[in-house]
Amino acid sequence: MYLELSHLNKRFEDREVVKDLSFGLERGELLCILGSSGCGKTTTLNMIGGFLRPDGGQILLDGEDITDLPPERRPVTTVFQSYGLFPHMTVLQNVTYGLKFQGCPRAEARKKGLRYLEMVGLKDYAAARIHEISGGEQQRVALARALIVEPKLCLLDEPFSNLDAALRVKMRRELKTLQRDLDMTMVFVTHDQEEAMILSDHMAIMREGRLIQYDRPMEIYHHPADAFVARFLGVKDLIWEPDGRLLKVIRDGGAE
Amino acid sequence: MNKPAFQSRGKRVSSKEALFRIGEGVDKLVLLFLLGSVCLFVLWPMTCILLRSLHLSGGDGFTLSSYVQVWTKYQSALRNSLFIGIVSALLCTLFSVSAAVFLSTRRGWMKGLCMAVLLVCMVSPPFVSSLAYIQLYGRRGWITYRLLGLSWDPYNSWGVIWMQALSFVPMNALFLIGILSKLDGGSLRAARDLGARPGAILRDVVLPLMRPGILVCLLLSFVRSLADFGTPVIIGGRSTTLAAEIYLQVVGYSDLEKSSAMNMFLLVPSIAFFFLYRALMRRSDRLTEGARGKQESLSLPLFRCGPLGWLAVAMSLLFFVMMTLQYGCIFLSGFLKSTKGVYSFTLKYWHQLWTISGSTMVRSVIYSLIVSLGGTLFAMLFAYYMERRRVPGRSLFDCLVTLPYMLPGTCFGIGYILAFNHAPLKLTGTALIVMANMMFKQLPTSTKICSASLTQVPVYLEKAARDLGGGQMAVVRDVILPGLRPAFLSCFVYNFSSSMTTAGSIIFLIDPGRQLAVFKLFDAVYTGDYALASLIASAITVIVLAVEGLVFLISWKGAARRVS
Repeated sequence: MYLELSHLNKRFEDREVVKDLSFGLERGELLCILGSSGCGKTTTLNMIGGFLRPDGGQILLDGEDITDLPPERRPVTTVFQSYGLFPHMTVLQNVTYGLKFQGCPRAEARKKGLRYLEMVGLKDYAAARIHEISGGEQQRVALARALIVEPKLCLLDEPFSNLDAALRVKMRRELKTLQRDLDMTMVFVTHDQEEAMILSDHMAIMREGRLIQYDRPMEIYHHPADAFVARFLGVKDLIWEPDGRLLKVIRDGGAE
Repeated sequence: MNKPAFQSRGKRVSSKEALFRIGEGVDKLVLLFLLGSVCLFVLWPMTCILLRSLHLSGGDGFTLSSYVQVWTKYQSALRNSLFIGIVSALLCTLFSVSAAVFLSTRRGWMKGLCMAVLLVCMVSPPFVSSLAYIQLYGRRGWITYRLLGLSWDPYNSWGVIWMQALSFVPMNALFLIGILSKLDGGSLRAARDLGARPGAILRDVVLPLMRPGILVCLLLSFVRSLADFGTPVIIGGRSTTLAAEIYLQVVGYSDLEKSSAMNMFLLVPSIAFFFLYRALMRRSDRLTEGARGKQESLSLPLFRCGPLGWLAVAMSLLFFVMMTLQYGCIFLSGFLKSTKGVYSFTLKYWHQLWTISGSTMVRSVIYSLIVSLGGTLFAMLFAYYMERRRVPGRSLFDCLVTLPYMLPGTCFGIGYILAFNHAPLKLTGTALIVMANMMFKQLPTSTKICSASLTQVPVYLEKAARDLGGGQMAVVRDVILPGLRPAFLSCFVYNFSSSMTTAGSIIFLIDPGRQLAVFKLFDAVYTGDYALASLIASAITVIVLAVEGLVFLISWKGAARRVS
């Protein structure tokens, strides 16, 4: 396994937020952690990113134990829900910020930055300030900034939750393409069932700090582990694209 | 058959209509009163200084002679003002940024203690730093003379610079802490995530985001230093500044043409800086907008931030040690008497305080209470009209009301003398002019507090009140004023402590028969009665803290009763 979480535990004061969590992920795959709010999915992400230290358990990435590494020394980057873009820098400065700490010469950083901006369709915005671009564009900047340092693992914390429905569908598709092209391993946290089913190679469904089911999306769809999972997914019908990709999930009102 | 019923309904409607008309009339009158007052008490006094400095209101015709006179005669004072202003602004900003970053990254008892020190600094009267300076580092100073056995002359520019720099820190630091608390924690986490070590985060993210705020601190400190006459008069020795000269001019010779011209040298840069200040504040707001203001402390390990981090820690510790020494000295020396170098406890000055200054204290408190109530109400109404109603010339009035924030106290004081010393507006010598001056000097901050609070009152509440049949007055009474309750408290507290401790602008307006506590303090320091001065300073500080504590207690109790 490329990424391996084993027996992770985390409590805040007297509340157990993550209980004995274990799963693994292969290189180049995209995992969605799915669950309603308060199920411990963001806490799990923060432990992988290094912003929280687990009370127990271990995190292995590419054979290396990263459990006790601080975020700045982990080969892991995060796309934050609120993006966390630097408002005092231009788009390009934002994107190339992480390269500074890899000893990348300035000219080369600039070239690479422009390449990544082109990849996310923002080449013309290099000199723009953050407050001058739209929410969707900010989202892409955050993505480019996280990917440019070529991390071993990229984490995304509900990155599309601040976008409107149409844009979300578009960004979803772009992210998937980008992830395939770069062969990037990603962990994606969401509470949107459709998003998870369309994006993921593997899905982890969490509830009250525990992992309920871990499998490929279609496996979970066809064989939900229990009534909760079936109800939570609430899939009524699936619509497929001609090339066999999942296009849309129709839900039956979905009790969450 | 239908007719009578219809008629009676028509009648009721018309009486309601009349009530509505009255409401609208009152609404217009209130607005006119607010705008008129601002013009009269801010714009007019400033205009008077300009006219007087050009001899346009004296009768002998337009001339620049006063300017020429000031320019040639006060070269060294001008140079000194500039030098002291620049150096103390730089020093003060260094202290302020350090203290703000230090406190924002700290939590627990240490932070509580430091915040308490800042609070005491905020509510203590001016001149205390000079007073403590003389007692600690003076010719017979506790530290320089008794501890180190030095014999030196402490009266020079450097003393002024240090004391000004230290005494401007609390306000700046609190301002910067406010900015830091609004910083987007996401930016910091993102930087860390991308490999930035703490030092790099401080250098690349925290400080650049604070930059407009830091520039504002520089400006404010510079203007405050320009305006400060107390420190140079008390500890400046032979090095004098323009503000000190203005004070001596007005008190000693009453040459109003000349002091107007001198004031113009302070007024023009202050107004220029005022516009710069507004631009910077807009930029600062833009850098912090959109960040969700979670009141979490800045997660930045300052001790691992390299030289910059250590500088911040060292400067803050130096600041807090000096402040603790300063206030310790002030609180102690009111109760100590020295006989042949041996100190013993005494209540002598305590008795003196109440026999000499008792009535003055009471007068100060009464004035401050009136100003606090009036100023708070004024600010609430003004903020409402500016924020929510389409007032013609809105930006102009907004600008006017904020202007006194940057005006040197001496300008604001002399402006009032010139504007209100003849009929039909002869107010000089009355209590009214003193209170009006305090109120308008404090209005910029009061209005800002109220405007900020008003943004928390959703516009649809107003719409709902009107939709349900309430007029303009009903909106103000039932929606706006209740919504501004929290602002009332902070506004009142701010106004009270400022009124109790303000000195600069009202020193020229006070009637000798109706002294205020701050000027008793100034006199005591000036005449070398340091023990009594210390005691007055402590008394003012304690009174302010007590009254504010009381106000908080009352509102807290009130809130508790309403909940139950």
